[in-house]
Amino acid sequence: MASTDLEAPNTTADAQPTSEIDNRVSDAAAESTFQEMEDVTRAVPAIEFQNVTLGFGDRTVLDNLSFKVLRGETKIILGGSGTGKSTTIKLVLGLLKPDEGRVFVNGEDITDYDEYEMMRVRKNIGMIFQEGALFDSLSVYENVAYRLHEQGVSEDEVEQEVRRMLRFVNLEDAIDKMPAELSGGMRRRVGIARALVGGPQIVMFDEPTAGLDPPTARTICELAIKLRDLEDVSSMFVTHEMNNVDYLTGEYAAVNDEGEVIFEEEGQKLCLINTKIMMIRNGQIIFSGTDEQLKKQDDPYIKRFLRGK
Amino acid sequence: MNIAIRSLLEVQETTLLLARSARRLLGRPIYFNEMIAQADVIGVGSLTIIILTGFFTGGVLTLQTYPTLKYYGAQDQTGYLVALSLVRELGPVLTALMCTGRVGSAIAAELGSMVVSQQIDAMRALGTDPVRKLVTPRLIALVVTLPLLTVIADIIGILGGGAVSTGLYGMPMGTFFSSVRHGITTDDIIGGVLKPVVFALIIGSVSCNKGLSTEGGTVGVGRSTTSAVVTSSILVIVADFFLAKMLQVILDMPS
Repeated sequence: MASTDLEAPNTTADAQPTSEIDNRVSDAAAESTFQEMEDVTRAVPAIEFQNVTLGFGDRTVLDNLSFKVLRGETKIILGGSGTGKSTTIKLVLGLLKPDEGRVFVNGEDITDYDEYEMMRVRKNIGMIFQEGALFDSLSVYENVAYRLHEQGVSEDEVEQEVRRMLRFVNLEDAIDKMPAELSGGMRRRVGIARALVGGPQIVMFDEPTAGLDPPTARTICELAIKLRDLEDVSSMFVTHEMNNVDYLTGEYAAVNDEGEVIFEEEGQKLCLINTKIMMIRNGQIIFSGTDEQLKKQDDPYIKRFLRGK
Repeated sequence: MNIAIRSLLEVQETTLLLARSARRLLGRPIYFNEMIAQADVIGVGSLTIIILTGFFTGGVLTLQTYPTLKYYGAQDQTGYLVALSLVRELGPVLTALMCTGRVGSAIAAELGSMVVSQQIDAMRALGTDPVRKLVTPRLIALVVTLPLLTVIADIIGILGGGAVSTGLYGMPMGTFFSSVRHGITTDDIIGGVLKPVVFALIIGSVSCNKGLSTEGGTVGVGRSTTSAVVTSSILVIVADFFLAKMLQVILDMPS
């Protein structure tokens, strides 16, 4: 399954969300041996920004930003603090509105949607916040079950789903705890479980590993890799930590013969193309491409960012 | 931005929030459980301070008015005076001020910390409207419980007044309470219950708006809590004046 996902974005890389181009892609897809390629909806990018500009007061945070996140693709957004990385994610969820430009989610122009229409769009998007943003007054169970409780799902189903999600993040033991009793990494993982309830096809990570110890940070990156390779989730992964980038661009998840999830390195023969990097500085994209391309950049800022000096 | 424009903008925001949260009563879902929980926190939780405030206010009113009335030989009218002041003015205003301190600050602090810890964003990201889930239940709970708390404060205040006049001044209990019954009219009671409804809307909308517009981390939470209490208290007292005049006109009271 992982291999089909890895191939998916390649053929659809230049696709536009217009009907004319959809046809062209479906012709191309017909030649593909991969069944998923026949699905024309895959040609529509999961997220698309067109000339998005946003400012707070006199300060321009995002300046004419345009990019696409394809189906099944993970877009790592790199950049220093205060460069507008988290703002980009908030625009996708409609928590902020752009001053200019358009934002598309699954080909749908959400720029002018009101809060009511956004609620429908947000149902398909999971968001993982910097510090977890768990509801303090609710237990872990209630936090993870939040979306289901809001939808009025029966308690039996809720419990089943909550346990399944907590197992996914390896935290089933903490089900009855309150957020205040959890460590930073556990809070982050509960936040992930909460965001993934209901199987969203788009997931936003807002610096999910900031301030965590390396093994916990690694676990969170593994979760992101699992989502990308095994669940076909499109995601935006905001970070400023280079080891996250190495994990996400250098490893893929697969299921071995025993049915266990394993992580393998891409090595020399394979090149992961479902993970792209975008670097933002002063609200503008200064780099967009693969990790290999990033490492070859001559820009002194990028070099310093990669090596820390 | 000068202070006049900023205040006008805040009035606008607060009014809009009030209107939005009222509109949420029409659609679904309506969070009844949340309303009950808030009514418990706001209403039942404030009972102790309201009882204490009411009792001692009634007591001190008697303490201050009895000697003066006695000077004019009208000490039999103590109950009348105490009950009237309590039901018309002190009951509603003191209850509202106590609730501003206890409930308004709690609302602003809770919503403010939810904003700075991104819980409000998370709520929106999970498809819940924060106004519907957080503001409307708090407003409804306040509108329901504040008049009830006021009535309790009035009754306890009158009892406190009675206790002081019999215990301290040796006035027969019957005399005190018959002058109370004589003094209060239905109009006084209607006015005394209508006022807290308006106060509840003021406290609720101001505190929720201050909380939800918190900026600047934990320091910001402190700032919005303080300003929620200060703004609500001032607005309650100002509104009380205009409400008193309006009620005089509407209920055709002697003015």
